[in-house]
Amino acid sequence: MTTGDIQVPSKDLRHAGTLVLGVGNSLCGDDSVGPCLIEILAKRSLPPGTRVEDAGLPGWGLPSSLEGWSSVFLVDAVDIGLPAGSWRRFRLEDVKLWLQDENFSLHQADLACGLALAQALDRLPEHLYIYGVQPAQTNPGEPLSPQVSACLPGLADQIILDLGKKQYDTKANPHC
Amino acid sequence: MTKRIDVHHVTRVEGHGNIYVEITDGKLKECRLDIVETPRFFEAMLRGRPYIEASHITSRICGICATGHATASLRATERALGVELTKQTQLLRKLTFHGEILDSHVLHVYMLVAPDFLGVGSVIPLATSHPEVVLRALRMKKLAGDICAVVAGRHTHPIAMTVGGFTHFPTTSELMALRQRLVDSREDCEATVELASQLPWPQFERDTEYISLHKPDEYAFIDGDIISSDGPQLQAERYQEVTNEFLVPHSSAKHTKFQRTSYMVGALARFNNNFAQLHPRAKETAAKLGLRPKVTNPFLNTAAQVVEIVHCVEDAILVIDKLLSLNVEPEMPAPVTLKECSGVGVCEVPRGMLIHHYWINAEGTLTGANCIIPTNQNLANLEADMKALVVTILDKPVEAIQHNLEMLVRAYDPCISCSVHVLKIEPRSTL
Repeated sequence: MTTGDIQVPSKDLRHAGTLVLGVGNSLCGDDSVGPCLIEILAKRSLPPGTRVEDAGLPGWGLPSSLEGWSSVFLVDAVDIGLPAGSWRRFRLEDVKLWLQDENFSLHQADLACGLALAQALDRLPEHLYIYGVQPAQTNPGEPLSPQVSACLPGLADQIILDLGKKQYDTKANPHC
Repeated sequence: MTKRIDVHHVTRVEGHGNIYVEITDGKLKECRLDIVETPRFFEAMLRGRPYIEASHITSRICGICATGHATASLRATERALGVELTKQTQLLRKLTFHGEILDSHVLHVYMLVAPDFLGVGSVIPLATSHPEVVLRALRMKKLAGDICAVVAGRHTHPIAMTVGGFTHFPTTSELMALRQRLVDSREDCEATVELASQLPWPQFERDTEYISLHKPDEYAFIDGDIISSDGPQLQAERYQEVTNEFLVPHSSAKHTKFQRTSYMVGALARFNNNFAQLHPRAKETAAKLGLRPKVTNPFLNTAAQVVEIVHCVEDAILVIDKLLSLNVEPEMPAPVTLKECSGVGVCEVPRGMLIHHYWINAEGTLTGANCIIPTNQNLANLEADMKALVVTILDKPVEAIQHNLEMLVRAYDPCISCSVHVLKIEPRSTL
């Protein structure tokens, strides 16, 4: 899915641009928050050089998706221990990636595994921000919860605001 | 003294399995691969569904062999209904199929098997110790995924493939771009062959019956007769004479056997049975890896996959050339005339021969289905290999026996392989 002023970014544009990547399973309740947000952003006016993409479950393909972009905004459901629908923006260096060693599976690599692989390969973008939304439930077959649904417009506004900034300062943002 | 290796929940895409080995006083008492997962009932899900939905439902059987299941499903439906495919459709399906085989084989060779030989536990430490290896794998996987996306609409679970044809068509420029990337990937293929040629493959031989599809004029991936390395060649409709599914107490997945007590399917079986139909560059690869049919070391199934990686890249280039000369244009799917019928669709997915058999009524509704996947067909043979291998290493420590068994299971590349890679075992020794 593409919006902004580009369809398929050229190699040069990719290096200069910003990618907003929605991650999650559209069939599993609030895990669909990433794809849902991409759907909203795709209908909005975005700064030039921005691409939005529903990455679904990128797994081990995440390093390839990140490669070449100077800035990437990732949106996903994250258990941050707050009321459902709350969201926080953070950088990778602000958190510890929990790799599920017991179930480490090449069929089921989660976002943490994909990020860890990108990190190990030195393929992370210069600026990487993760917008984590607290889910109410991530059950298969369930729709988006009312709480997460309600947070989407505000989150979309914030991401568009952040996309327009030239400087990123996570400490200046109350949601960080 | 008793040595036990008791591995619980070796997960696989369609199930869970356990490895159990018991050695008492230096003799093998028990060696089993228990499959304990609940059946998934896909065949039951198909009953009552319109024929047009079958390929989309069954592609969900596997996230890696999604194109394979969709193709076998479409061929079963098309053969039942007597649908004839155009040359363009056949070539587009073949190209997508090559993409999926490449994707799966690269995953297995680089991310499941290579860590064993390169002394790391998984792909993440491998990315630190050998980043160029992982980057190459990701590059090749990206190309494979893009082939599927360009031709069939998306990387996994093809949306553009339908009964009688396609609903979306790649442009000339897209095909030319893929062709160039395939040509460029020859360098990665050569590096893959180089890597495989340096791996210290375990020495273990056990002759068995090798079963695959066969076509006289091409390396069979879609359609063809069923052939055995022991001789007979049968039409696909006679698959039940080959598979002879049977139940064993320790497995919720059925075992199969044909003329021996078990048989093997997959890249090694294809290599052994269809060597003559490989692309010349793939034959050169086999020579570099020291492979000549018939290869009876199951660990070399992975090496046979490397041969197929080269074959698929080269054949995909040839297929694109044919598509470019045809000048791909949108065409309506072949027309269907409903009737009460049944049909068998066969193809060679990465892990071996896949069979879909459908029964369709005059309204176009499925009244019955039978799907036989390669992992099931390999279970009895894998178990036989495990037993034969263990007796050669009875004197080794439990950890070494376990490691060898894990490598053997991985060599078959079953859907359980990814979890076998990180087995947590609880070795127990009692007097």
